[in-house]
Amino acid sequence: MSTTKSTPSWLLDTQIGLCPCGCIGTRKKVNLIDQTIEGVSGFVRRALGTDELANSDGVLQRLDPRTKVVVTMVGLVVVALLRHVPLLIVVAVTGALLAAATRLPVGRFVRRAWFVTPLFAAMVSVPAVFNVVTHGHVVVPLGHPFGHRFGITGQGLRTAALLTTRVAASATVVLLLVQTTSWPRVLAALRSLRVPTLFVQILGMAHRYIFQLVTAVEDMFLARRSRQVNHAIDARSGRMLVGATAGALFGKAQSMADEVTLAMTARGDRGTPRALSSGPLPRRDIAVIIGAIVLMASMLWLDRALGR
Amino acid sequence: MHIPDGYLSPETCGVMGAAMVPVWTTAGRRVRSRLGSQLVPHLALGAAFSFLVMMFNIPIPDGTTAHGVAATLVAVLLGPWAAVVSVSTALVIQAVFFGDGGVLALGANCWNMAFVGPFVGYGVYRLVAGRQALDAPRRALAAGVGGYVGLNVAALFAAVEFGLQPTLFTAKDGTPLYAPFHLSQTVPAMALAHLTVAGLVEFVLTFGVVRYLQRANPALLRVNPVNDPGAGPAAPDRPGWRTPALVLLGLAALTPLGLLAPGGAFGEDSPNDLDLRHYGLRSVPVGLNRWSGFWSHAVLNGYGFHNGDHPVVAYLLSAFIGLLAIAALVAAVRFLVAGRSRKAEPAVR
Repeated sequence: MSTTKSTPSWLLDTQIGLCPCGCIGTRKKVNLIDQTIEGVSGFVRRALGTDELANSDGVLQRLDPRTKVVVTMVGLVVVALLRHVPLLIVVAVTGALLAAATRLPVGRFVRRAWFVTPLFAAMVSVPAVFNVVTHGHVVVPLGHPFGHRFGITGQGLRTAALLTTRVAASATVVLLLVQTTSWPRVLAALRSLRVPTLFVQILGMAHRYIFQLVTAVEDMFLARRSRQVNHAIDARSGRMLVGATAGALFGKAQSMADEVTLAMTARGDRGTPRALSSGPLPRRDIAVIIGAIVLMASMLWLDRALGR
Repeated sequence: MHIPDGYLSPETCGVMGAAMVPVWTTAGRRVRSRLGSQLVPHLALGAAFSFLVMMFNIPIPDGTTAHGVAATLVAVLLGPWAAVVSVSTALVIQAVFFGDGGVLALGANCWNMAFVGPFVGYGVYRLVAGRQALDAPRRALAAGVGGYVGLNVAALFAAVEFGLQPTLFTAKDGTPLYAPFHLSQTVPAMALAHLTVAGLVEFVLTFGVVRYLQRANPALLRVNPVNDPGAGPAAPDRPGWRTPALVLLGLAALTPLGLLAPGGAFGEDSPNDLDLRHYGLRSVPVGLNRWSGFWSHAVLNGYGFHNGDHPVVAYLLSAFIGLLAIAALVAAVRFLVAGRSRKAEPAVR
């Protein structure tokens, strides 16, 4: 019997049962129940997709997770310290090139890292380009409404560009770690890096049971939809439904916690978490850490040398 | 309200992360003593619940839907310290696994949503609920009001964190290096969004869940024993006073460091030191001139002795006198509140 490691394509379709090109029509999902079902399905779909990428073969996937966690944290601090837009663009582009080199789907990577959060940052920073918010040299005069000079300042344009590119570069750095390292390996790295074992254990268990509870949420909303004749749901009923579902979810979480406690006790748990110690870092990884730190220190030096 | 990476300076992120360390440590100690061997499963499932409730779409009046944070809800159901751990865990998973909220900004996000929000919301809940019965409608209303207030105070903290960036971190030519909006812009913007829409969503979510549990499964509300005044006196969940007292004394001992700072504090210039041209003024405003000298009988005026001698000693003395005055005020309020509670309780025969 043949087996496959990849997620079936029908599960990745956002509109199940319909042709992706829309030739047989599209289904409009605006209903609260549909929206929540779509949200939780999207969550599972993204998680499955990320897990699949992290377990595939690639240059970054093969690195020790501790190396990736350390380099990511240093990278985030360096991105936060950079003050020149071109250097932030270099970081973001380097991240995209690394994503391509490690066989991640570049289109999806770039869309998620550069267009979701950074687009919001760009929209938020639009008012900051005007001299009423950011004072400075007016480079684009826009008249004198109410007797005051109004226009776009050089400083305003620069701060908007800095914010947007910094958000994009930070998202690129984090996404590289997330898409090349599975969650259990991130947790193992955190444990090796002396993050308290108790906290790591809670993180690991919470992540695992999110997937259990998300199924319960989906079931509850699907059950409600299957009993509903009319597609529309009024706001008051919707709010009551959300309250009841969240309340029932809390009940399920509590009973699941009790069962897990009993199971852990039955297996000999005494409330003192223990973890296997990881081996020493391979030489290749040490070289990667040193190389990355030197590269990022050079970028910081260049940033300061450029002045301002 | 999830602050992504890039909006706050690394210095701000560092300070907020450092501020969260004692909160996480205390939360870990307190929940461990309450839950014992059930600690990990209950907190992990609490975190999973917190994570998923944030995904729920709640209908709002314009016909669309919005998400809640549910920090106060978790505090009402599990207790405030358990909420710190659960909501922090949910925020870590959101940031690392789904890129919702920054990794470097985790300290700030946890401070706002996992500490300030639940504690303020829970405080308001306790205040409004009083000693009402477990199934009293006022208890559900109190939870909703707590959710509304908690979220708004958390949003205020986020607004202050954003608004301080252009004041503290600018390039030489005046370009803001991080979030570009000043306090006068961030506070109203966040207040408008949270007082009108996000706060109401939080109210609906928190009220709806507590009301549902009151009707359908009141036993779940007893997970946090404080919710059931009829079950007898709950174990006091008061923080110890020694550590905060030592921290305060340490901070008081460090106050002379202020003497090393160049220039004056923002907004505290005397009328004579004002840069009138900077504000487009020709003279000091009449009201400012009159009222700035209104009170001149301070014991340690300007945190110093009248003759200006021994500034370090005067600073230390000011700090300790200030601490004593605040402690006396708090003790007086506590005495008054305790007196009222004793009168309100029925006499035991």
